[in-house]
Amino acid sequence: MTKTIAALLVTSLFLSTAVLAADDVIEQRQDLMEHTGDAAKVVGDMLKEKEPFDAAAAMAALEVWKNTATEVGDLFPVGSETGHDTEAKSTIWSDREGFDQRIDDFSNAVDEAIAANPTSLAALGEAANPVFKTCKGCHENYRVEKDD
Amino acid sequence: MKRLIIAAGIIALLVVASLYLTRPISLSAGSLPDHPVNLANGELIFNAGGCASCHLSSEDNDQPPQLGGGLEMSTPFGIFHVPNISPDKTNGIGNWSALQFASAMLEGTSPDGKHLYPSFPYASYTRMRIEDVIDLKAYLDTLPPVDQQNLPHDLGFPWQIRSGIGFWKLINLRSEPVVSLPADNVLLQRGRYLVEGPGHCGECHTPRDWTGGLNTERWLAGAPNPEGEGKVPNITPDEDKLGEWAEADIAYYLKSGFTPDYDTVGGSMVDVQENMSRLSDEDRKAIAAYLKAVPALK
Repeated sequence: MTKTIAALLVTSLFLSTAVLAADDVIEQRQDLMEHTGDAAKVVGDMLKEKEPFDAAAAMAALEVWKNTATEVGDLFPVGSETGHDTEAKSTIWSDREGFDQRIDDFSNAVDEAIAANPTSLAALGEAANPVFKTCKGCHENYRVEKDD
Repeated sequence: MKRLIIAAGIIALLVVASLYLTRPISLSAGSLPDHPVNLANGELIFNAGGCASCHLSSEDNDQPPQLGGGLEMSTPFGIFHVPNISPDKTNGIGNWSALQFASAMLEGTSPDGKHLYPSFPYASYTRMRIEDVIDLKAYLDTLPPVDQQNLPHDLGFPWQIRSGIGFWKLINLRSEPVVSLPADNVLLQRGRYLVEGPGHCGECHTPRDWTGGLNTERWLAGAPNPEGEGKVPNITPDEDKLGEWAEADIAYYLKSGFTPDYDTVGGSMVDVQENMSRLSDEDRKAIAAYLKAVPALK
């Protein structure tokens, strides 16, 4: 009897850490996407000529994207499909290969943008627009659209 | 006996009347105006209408659109197989006259005089100007023919009976505008035309009632996602929705795919936004102005 209770306790501990871990990872990827969007705002506001062109700030934004490209792939483990108002779509897990390909596309576009080292507004547009395209490319099939 | 005859007569009359009221309507030659074709306008209408989103059969962006169809649309009524609308004379619509094409777009009637299923959004296209429809057909005729035969629709009972669509049309096919607007505001009029007509935005952003028609009381107030997960957003200017966006924000979203806080467009809207990005700044501005002018709904 005590054994059963002990076993149950241990199991529930494991389960709760698993749930916590899933919560953690969902929050982590949500934060990562927030930061990625903030960096997009830095670049976007320059391209919209709402803010003056600033080569250093633009490069810092590209580096944020680089960090996203490195980290994002590991933040969608099996077991993190639901909870925390996640907008991750089930296709991430049913079509992992396609999802990973989209991350590669993003990563490659960011690498090229950094290599281009944009020093003018026009060059920034040329470097950033292919990256923007890959954001949509992934959100098209791997994110659930919610009304919020 | 006499009563029986009268009753039978009334029933027969009702049947004839309903058959008459629900018959497929084709446009007559006289309704085709003398209109010199404008191919550039045809291409604009093609993009505004997002025809490629459903009818594209090959994803090669460097080539002119190949509209061989074939996409499977799973719906509660069954599976629709999107038809070939390339100018192929056997499998596409290369043999259709401008008049036959206009009957399909504006009346939902095929060249052989049958009702088309409203999965093809003619309930919106019926608000289009016939000149734009003629230009669109001329533009489609310039695209590459695709030699691809698609499966027929695979629908459950009773949806495979096309005459039932006549009743649907009787209730839901309305060519007048949904939202009334000042007649002298050219920008708003243009925006309304693009959104309610060719753009067919309401087909996804407006919920449907029990007849399967759009519930115009909830015009553009958001709806369940017909493809499953998630929701199609409310795009009325409610303070919690697009009310927070400036007109320029809406236009910029349609051009770039970015929301004001630099989230990106996603889901099926990606294709729609990319089509909208091919319109002129002025047309995107008109759409934005219209979306700010429709009734705000929670």
